[in-house]
Amino acid sequence: MKLYAYCLVEDVDALDAIPLGISGAAVRLLQVDEFAVLVSNFDSDTVAVTRENALDHAAVVRSVLDRTTPLPFRFGTLVTEQQLSIYISARRPALQSRFELVRGCVEMSVKVIRELSSDNSMTESQGEITSGTTFLEEKRREIRGGEQRAAEANDISTWLHEQVENLTRDEQVTVRPSDKLVVAAAHLVARDKIPQYKETMAAAREIRPELHFLFSGPWPPYSFANMELEFKSQFGVS
Amino acid sequence: MELSPENPLSAEPEIETSHPEEFVEELRYVADTLPSRINIDAASVEQGLAKLVLTLIEFIRRLLEKQAVRRMEGGDLSPEQIEELGLALMKLEVKLQELKTQFGLTDEDLNLDLGPIGRLI
Repeated sequence: MKLYAYCLVEDVDALDAIPLGISGAAVRLLQVDEFAVLVSNFDSDTVAVTRENALDHAAVVRSVLDRTTPLPFRFGTLVTEQQLSIYISARRPALQSRFELVRGCVEMSVKVIRELSSDNSMTESQGEITSGTTFLEEKRREIRGGEQRAAEANDISTWLHEQVENLTRDEQVTVRPSDKLVVAAAHLVARDKIPQYKETMAAAREIRPELHFLFSGPWPPYSFANMELEFKSQFGVS
Repeated sequence: MELSPENPLSAEPEIETSHPEEFVEELRYVADTLPSRINIDAASVEQGLAKLVLTLIEFIRRLLEKQAVRRMEGGDLSPEQIEELGLALMKLEVKLQELKTQFGLTDEDLNLDLGPIGRLI
């Protein structure tokens, strides 16, 4: 019998009001050393990647978020009780350090869209370029445009960081200069700073009306768990 | 949908944006580009291999273009050499386009998501 692992928690010795897990299985607490793992029994060798399963996984992890900050396992993590025990015992210091980072915090997400200028394609694209010199000049224009977009994207990322650097314990930022969704940031925020964080973000949005923002959270710290799991996620293979 | 600072200990996530359609479209695009299931059959393996090889060629081709532009700007190429180099790179681009069409791949397919580092191209 395999176990489906949802998240690792500390200072929790009993569960209440935990939703059913993947495939409607009951979720229980498995104590390992000073930690506990939310698990449910799982009969198959693979976990189907479905909306329902993903939501079930998220609901279980989120259900403990108002009591403690969990370290979520990756979706689809199937283990035996022995593997789980060995894993936790072997990585105890790393897990303690990771809990120290996320303790009392939640993840807040910010995504930023900016309008891309439309001058990033060849001006003569409608017609045939037959001259090698013209081709290279057009490439030069493309490359310069790309560099400008990259600089603008990095400026947005730096600006965003400056807005919240005093309110975040850690951050994970992805910058994609060539995409419309140019910056995606995950901020690790102490729970008591969430109101201030939200106010700061609302004010930031007013400062940069040319950018479009999506704020969400609080979430479990998925972007900061980084437990270096060696368990393979058992996704379905067809 | 506005930010509400009350109840900081609530674990219920909120989502707030003034441009929901735009974000739905972008995030749907991201979701569509994520690998869902591995479809193991002869045709897809061949296409997967072609995708990997063509991605690397495209990456090198772009590096060559940047190098050519740098040399052109540096002034160490004669007009004839610029023309010749430009024509060679143009033919390479056309050839790669043909190969993409042959394997049913788009420009976006020839990219690798390197996570926090960004995309290869």
